[in-house]
Amino acid sequence: MSESSSAPGASGDFVGLLKRSGYQFHTPVGDASRFDTHNLTQGTTVFAFHFKDGILMAGDRRATAGNAIMYDRCDKVIPIDDYSLMAIAGAPATAFEMARVLSHNFEYYRRSQLQSMSAEGKIRALANLLRQNVGMAMQGVGVVSPIFATFDLQTNQPAIYFYDVMGAQFQIQSHTATGSGSPTIRGILEHEDLWGARPLDQRERKDAAMLAIRLLQTAGHFDSATGKAQPEDGVYPVIATVTEKGYEFATQDETAELYKESVKRGEHV
Amino acid sequence: MFEEPFRWMEAISTRHSYVQEKLKKGQPVFAVPYNEGSLLLSFSQQPGKIFEIYDRIALGGLGHPADVERLRMSLLDMAHLEGFNRSAQDVTIARLLQFGVAPALKQNFEEVMRAPYLVQLLLAELDAEGGRRFYRLNYDGHWENFKKGTVVAGDPKASQWLEKKIADTPFAEYDLNRAMQEVCKLWEGVQKEVREDSEDDEKDESETFTLNQAFEDWHFEAAVLSNTVKRKSIFRKASEDEIQTLKSALIK
Repeated sequence: MSESSSAPGASGDFVGLLKRSGYQFHTPVGDASRFDTHNLTQGTTVFAFHFKDGILMAGDRRATAGNAIMYDRCDKVIPIDDYSLMAIAGAPATAFEMARVLSHNFEYYRRSQLQSMSAEGKIRALANLLRQNVGMAMQGVGVVSPIFATFDLQTNQPAIYFYDVMGAQFQIQSHTATGSGSPTIRGILEHEDLWGARPLDQRERKDAAMLAIRLLQTAGHFDSATGKAQPEDGVYPVIATVTEKGYEFATQDETAELYKESVKRGEHV
Repeated sequence: MFEEPFRWMEAISTRHSYVQEKLKKGQPVFAVPYNEGSLLLSFSQQPGKIFEIYDRIALGGLGHPADVERLRMSLLDMAHLEGFNRSAQDVTIARLLQFGVAPALKQNFEEVMRAPYLVQLLLAELDAEGGRRFYRLNYDGHWENFKKGTVVAGDPKASQWLEKKIADTPFAEYDLNRAMQEVCKLWEGVQKEVREDSEDDEKDESETFTLNQAFEDWHFEAAVLSNTVKRKSIFRKASEDEIQTLKSALIK
């Protein structure tokens, strides 16, 4: 309870508070060429698109290192605050840390300033973290390619942003995907949006969730780094939505039921 | 002063009197259980008595707003750093008080050349298993915990009266609306109790003390830590609908 401790709170700057407490976000890497970057764990396929009530965000569960499957229960869609989700592809070590910083940053701001950070502020906060990570990304040891989804409480509109590794952000009107399985998913999403039964932003939550499951099954067919569902082990994709009521994750039971319905052959919704 | 123990003790005693006198007119802040969590409630002439500290921790403050704010910021800083560096599960009121705010407050109070904090704080915590804990922190760093809820009220008589009433009321069995109604009735009751106890010449006829007047002229604040909230942060302010339902039940 030092006298100076009130200074960071006055601006709601959690990153500043962290720095003052001695925390260092990026440990400098001396000679990155000595790392075999193929052996670093990577998260893979995530995507987001607008549906009728807001945004659906989903991801497979696989983490790989080169050809090795490191983990098949990785959660790559992460809640940041009540109205924001972040989906990560790239180095989980860096991405999870960014998510933790971001989550505490938004909550600290909201609690200290007694109001939520603006959607624009949230979007820039992630861009700032990515910019600070450029050195690591350029060395190939900490590349993160996130998607950020939030519900803007001022405009009452959902928003999806895609970021490049240097922190540039791009607002997405319809859909986006990142990670190794994303080319497959982007192609199908574009097709579905233009020539599917209904445009993506007119689909009900259930239809959107079933599409998400099918997208990841398809991506998993063509990309070894994208994990398919493993119903026998209770491993299903992570599916979440952001609406005016905040974020909501589909439960394991709900996803299991949706999966059964989604993978039936010849009964397309 | 420091080489004469009596003068130091006298200074401390004077400090107690000074702070207590300053806090005496502070409006009570309540923290009680209800069937889905914990409720914090207060009336005040200026808003800003009930706050969120961390995912499962809420704060009620009585005293000088600037002092409440400084302590609130200290608690926020400590809670968020601890939650970030370790885990949200490591952020508990007991740790924040015992290893953070309470020793610093005590030191501040006993440094007689520094201005004391004019403050009493109330903290409520709802753990993941639904366990409710309530804490009261005094301006001198002394803190206590309670199982059935508690109150901070500047007037010691009011505080004692309310503590007994809270202990005798089965708040944990009530739904939110009933719990808010009962707390509001206690608030109105203590206004009358304190007035009746005070000398006639001390009565201030202009003071607001009925619920009708309080709802009309003052700020009503209520918030809950609810175990029905499915997100990590379980603090929420009472909704407009909940407040309207409360008013219609209480104001005839």
